[in-house]
Amino acid sequence: MFYLSLIEHTLRLPPSLLSLPLQDAIKKELENIFLDKVIASLGLCISVYDIRKIEGGFIFPGDGASTYVVEFRMVIFRPFVGEIIAGKLKESNKDGLRLSLGFFDDIYIPAHRLPKPSSYEHDQENRYQVIWTWEYDSEDNNKFYIDGLDEIKFRVDSVEYPPVPIEQPEKPFAPMVITGTLDDDGLGPVTWW
Amino acid sequence: MKIKTPNAGALTNFEVLDFLKARGASKDSSRVIAPVASSEYKVYDYLVETPASRQTREQIYEFMKKCKTYKLAKAEILNIINIAPRELVEIDPIIEHSEMRLGDQVEELLDLVRNVFPLPPADLTSEAGMDKDGEETGNEEQNEDMNETLDGDQIDGDGK
Repeated sequence: MFYLSLIEHTLRLPPSLLSLPLQDAIKKELENIFLDKVIASLGLCISVYDIRKIEGGFIFPGDGASTYVVEFRMVIFRPFVGEIIAGKLKESNKDGLRLSLGFFDDIYIPAHRLPKPSSYEHDQENRYQVIWTWEYDSEDNNKFYIDGLDEIKFRVDSVEYPPVPIEQPEKPFAPMVITGTLDDDGLGPVTWW
Repeated sequence: MKIKTPNAGALTNFEVLDFLKARGASKDSSRVIAPVASSEYKVYDYLVETPASRQTREQIYEFMKKCKTYKLAKAEILNIINIAPRELVEIDPIIEHSEMRLGDQVEELLDLVRNVFPLPPADLTSEAGMDKDGEETGNEEQNEDMNETLDGDQIDGDGK
């Protein structure tokens, strides 16, 4: 789920941070820039792991801040295809489910990736939500519900990074989208197994 | 910004949790003072609910040493450490072609996982509690193979 990545960045250190020791100031600035942001084809930046090299410290003419070239390692969240992750149900509609990990919300399980056969019915309480049911054995009337209570295990099918759109769409833009599947033994809500 | 090495090493959930703890993340009220950002806290909150919160570095080293005989892929080992499966159904989606490659050894591997990453006693009783209250969850029928384990007994023993 997580891995380290070595990144080199040219960092401009604002003069307001000059009172701090250099390492702390650079770490703070790096966190401001990178934390909780998605880097294309790399993943979601979680945390600065350590700083390996600091070079430079040049001051460009007309600028009050010094510029450093920093080489550092960052903890990145990027699940690989085939990884099994447990998440909580965020919303469910007729296109499928959407799961959340707390720090990452754009996990979609499309309807055709739910265990077959499945059907849905509209939720009484929420007008736009539906409750998905897995009909395991129709004779026994063995139905398994996907309700919002427990954790749902899914396998990662793909991780995509849609390009940033020029105009703002109605839905907030998701720079990293994970598509998963529930269609296998041991996947789905934990209480099913 | 230049990416020098996109993949400088995979991290288990435990290592990330350990790293965040070392920075000062914790569950109680000292959160606001710790030098940990709120987005990092969300990761911490997520990880604390996974098996990673109960693991130790020695357990992980032990597991890595002992699982060499099963010739698992690196991704599979990582998955197993992160999920700590206790039943056959949990380990099945992790290992590709498990019957072809391991056959009966899957049970041995499961025992290894159970021994190296034991459940704390509180969790065992809470599992029994949850199953007694369970609604139509048909987990009795699903797993024909694994009736011999302690956990299996607790799940099957409630039989409706």
